[in-house]
Formats: sequence, structure tokens, C-alpha cells
Amino acid sequence: MSAQIPKQLLRRQLLAGGRKKVARESSRCFSCSIRHAQQQTAPPKSPREGSATTHFGFETVAEALKEQKVGAVFSSVASSYDTMNDLMSLGIHRLWKDHFVRNLNPGRNPLTSPPNADQGWNILDIAGGTGDIAFRMLDHASTINNDAHTRVTVADINADMLAEGRKRALQSPYARTPRLKFVEANAENLDMISDASIDLYTVAFGIRNFTHKDAAIREAYRVLKPGGVFACLEFSKVNNALFDAVYKRWSFSAIPLIGQLVASDRDSYQYLVESIERFPSQTEFRDMIREAGFLVPGQGWEDLTGGIAAIHKGVKPA
Amino acid sequence: MAPPAQLANCVRGTFRASSFRPTLWRQRCLYHSYEYSQPPPFPPAEAAILSSAISHVPAFGFTLDALKLGARDAGYLDVSTNLLPRGVFDLVNYHLVMQRLALKDSVQFPTEAEQGTGKKIGIGAKVRTLTLARLRANEPVIHRWQEALAIMAQPSYAPPSFAELAKLADEIWFLAGDTSVDTSWYTKRASLSAIYSATEVFMTQDTSKNFAETEQFLDARLEDVRKFGGFLGALGEWADFTGHSAVNVLRSKGLRI
Ligand SMILES: C[S@@+](CC[C@H](N)C(=O)[O-])C[C@H]1O[C@@H](n2cnc3c(N)ncnc32)[C@H](O)[C@@H]1O
Repeated sequence: MSAQIPKQLLRRQLLAGGRKKVARESSRCFSCSIRHAQQQTAPPKSPREGSATTHFGFETVAEALKEQKVGAVFSSVASSYDTMNDLMSLGIHRLWKDHFVRNLNPGRNPLTSPPNADQGWNILDIAGGTGDIAFRMLDHASTINNDAHTRVTVADINADMLAEGRKRALQSPYARTPRLKFVEANAENLDMISDASIDLYTVAFGIRNFTHKDAAIREAYRVLKPGGVFACLEFSKVNNALFDAVYKRWSFSAIPLIGQLVASDRDSYQYLVESIERFPSQTEFRDMIREAGFLVPGQGWEDLTGGIAAIHKGVKPA
Repeated sequence: MAPPAQLANCVRGTFRASSFRPTLWRQRCLYHSYEYSQPPPFPPAEAAILSSAISHVPAFGFTLDALKLGARDAGYLDVSTNLLPRGVFDLVNYHLVMQRLALKDSVQFPTEAEQGTGKKIGIGAKVRTLTLARLRANEPVIHRWQEALAIMAQPSYAPPSFAELAKLADEIWFLAGDTSVDTSWYTKRASLSAIYSATEVFMTQDTSKNFAETEQFLDARLEDVRKFGGFLGALGEWADFTGHSAVNVLRSKGLRI
């Protein structure tokens, strides 16, 4: 597979890219992993337990390193990020995001809600980097549901992605209003968010990058109010064999090349493609969500464009 | 949940099947409300939200608002309505399923022993009574029922709505004590489905006292089938009537059809 060819290059570049991050984030990263170690007294479902390695794309790396490497990837694609998403989704990730948000129907219409109820929804958009989902949520709440109170907290592990989001927010009506907030946080450890405080937790194209997906889902469960919803939009498994073959060929061979042309950063894109391939199937991921205690609607997910992406949801029992 | 799915498959299968094999069908799918205790038709959280939401339908219709209010009543949040992937259709479907299952308790015929030597109630009369009872169960939401019909007519919801109608017809013949396994089995269910649908639509426009005209309408349809024995005529009328009003409702909602 073409994945093997640029290995050397990949390792060199990623480590180089990660170095400045290591300096900046090392204390936080190490304390994170110590905290993980403590948290994991509850039996983690991951077979990785006890081993100190994890996957970085198809490479196996030390867990502590993955966070840095992922950080490096997103730092290096932060500004050309939309182009990457366009390539991976055959140009339709914007439609998926629109659908994702419209379907969740965020916001509380003051005209049809009981007056005593609390105003607006409290939304947490994890791995929200560029604010793509957050702006859509706020637009939907305002224009569709006449709701001027729904607020979104955008959390991302990567300061460069957050900076990009803050920059874009300036072009929206929400900059410097209480409706939009940015925080730097690791999805696996959301200490700054209190228990049972969130109506809707969203994560779009983010969860496949997390080192411990199960820990992130458990954190989601903790911060959600009873009745609150976990919603995840992510690349998934194409369910038609022929389409799958075509799409894989496209994603493995074409995209890294195009990535190199548009962003002169072949390796970051290579990582992105491989991380998609590694992500659990629709049913496996649905079961992980159930495992954390969520109720799942219907079969648990909705396929988009033949399964290139899927939306998974879970509802915390009341 | 396996048995209902199985039933739905069977129903769909039989409509497709060209050779009539009622005996086999009954063996595989024999499954009716009181034959053995069944799992509850909806999981607890869904049932809690939907049953509360139904009580808001008279005021709010089969709408997202009714669903959200139901969720609140059940101790959930607005956002929890995401538990229902088909949204308002799940609300309509809940009403259909619950009212179908309620029939066996709401209508009770005397057993043969209880009837003694008096004149027996015929199967036809039982079918009429059951059908009427089911129609009357729509009374509290009848002013909202056109909305429900429009939702059921949407392309992705028409097949499950049709399957549910077939289950209702089957339930009615079963509760009426019909045990025939000949080819009339299909005709009976098909004509009853057609009659039920036509009457249901008629009822949404009926302003007569205590729905007297709906009752007359039902009797006239049943009489037609008895006289002419065919169900094609009734089917034509049903299609026409439902098609019309569903189209009108959708138009009133701004769809260009
Ligand atoms: C592909 S981007 C998605 C951005 C945005 N949600 C969207 O759909 O356009 C993935 C994001 O996940 C973030 N990320 C990766 N690992 C994370 C973690 N453990 N916790 C929080 N964010 C993380 C990255 O920094 C990056 O911004």
C-alpha cells in the first residue's frame, strides 16, 4: 500500500513539527496521562489497557506521543483545513454538517416553550477547532427557532485550531458575545466543565483522533444533563463493496498527493486518511456509546452518502 | 422486537407472493396480541416521551412541539427528542400501534357459554364493532388526523404506515374470531384495510353529531363488499379519497404537488 512509502519522511516531518509543541505542552500532556492512569481504575473496554502504545494512522506509537503528533498534524493543516475536508468528503462535508445541525434542531423557540423553562440550550462542541459546527448551531437556533440564548462552548486540544476559530468568529455576529466561547481542552478530560451541565455534546470529525475514545465518551456522559444528547459526525465505513474500493483508492492514493499540492504537507494528510481507515465500524462505535450508558435512537446511527460518514447519537437516560 | 419485524416482513412478503399459501403464512406468523405475553411495543424511555407527547396532540397536533412538551413532562429535555429518529412519524406510529393493541381490551365479546342459546354474534358484526371501536379511538385527535395522514403519506413513511394498516386489519379479523385459511383470507384483509382507510378519512371531515355519518359511511362500505364480494371497487375509492386529502394537506404546508 502506498501508505508505506513516505514513512521515513512522515516520521521526520511529524517529529520536527511536534517538537515545538512538545516544549509548549509537555507539562500538560504528562499530567494528562497521569490523570488517565488514575481514572482508569474503572475497567476500560479498550484492549489497549496496560500497553503504552496506540495507533498513529497505521503506525504504532507511544500514547504520550500521539497527542503531540495529532497536535502537529492539526497545527500544520489548520489554515488549509477546509481544503482537506473537501477532498476527503468528495466536497460534501458542508452538506453533512448542515444536515447534522438541522437534524439536531438546536434552540428553544420562546413562542412554543413553556415560559418557566430555562432559556436556550447549552451546547459543547468538542474538537470544534475552526468553529464550523458552532456557527451553524447558533445560526440555526437564531433564525429557525428565534432563540437568542442558546450558547456554544468550542473546545479543542489545539491552540492553532482555536486561533483559526476565533479569527473566523470575528466575521460572525457571535464574536465577543456570551453565546460563543473557546476553551483549550482535551476531550478525554473536561475538568473545567461541571457534571450534568450540557444539553448537547457534539463532535464532528474529531473523535477518530482521540487516543482514548472510550474515555472521551465517558466524559461526554458525565458533562451531559440527564436527557442530554451525544452526537457525533465522523467518517465511517462505506457499506457498498464496490464504492468502498473506489473510495479507498481515492483516499489512499489521490488525497495525500493533492494534499501535498495544496498544502505542501503530504504526511499530515496521510495521517488523516489512515486514521479514518482505523476508525471503528458503525456497529462497533454504536456499541461503545451504549457501553458508556447511553440510550441509542433506533439502530443508533445514520449513514451519509453510502457510509463515507455517519452520525451516531446517544441520549443520557433521565 | 423480533416478532413485530417478522410480522411486517411476512405481510410485505404475502403482498408480493403470487401463489396464495395462507396455511404456511399462519404457521410462520401466527402472532396476535393475546396469544402469549409480548414484550412492550416500545422501549421504556421512548414510551415515556411518546405517551406524554400524545396528550399534547389535541392542542399542538402531531408536531415537534408536542414531542418536546412530552419529553419535558417525562423528565427529559427538548434535545432528548433525538431519541426518536423518525420525529413526528414516531408520534403518529405510537398512536397507531397503541390503539391497535388496545382493541383487544376495549372490545370484549361474550364467549359462547356466556351467550347461552341466544343468537350468536356473527363474525361480520364483530368486524363492524371492532372497526368502529378503532375509529372511535381517533376521536380525541380527529381534528389533527389530516396532519397525521399527510405525515404517513410521505414517501419514506408510506411503507411502514401501510404495514401497520395490514396489522390492524389482521388484528380485527383475528379478534372477530375468523379462522379461515382459504384464499378469502387475503381478500378479507385487503378489503378491510381499504374500508378502514376510507372511513378514517371520511371521519376527519365529518361534522355530524357523535360521528353518525361516519358510522353510516362504514356500514355502506361493508354492505358494498358483502353485496359485490370484491374489494377492488373499495380500493379505488380509498385511493382516490386519501390521495386527494393528503395532497391538499401537503399543499397547505407549502409543498408544490
Ligand atoms: C478534523 S478537525 C475537526 C474540526 C471541526 N469539528 C470540523 O468539523 O470542521 C479535528 C479536530 O480535533 C482536535 N482534536 C484532536 N484530538 C483532540 C482531543 N483529544 N481533544 C480535543 N480535540 C482534539 C484537533 O485539534 C482538530 O481541531
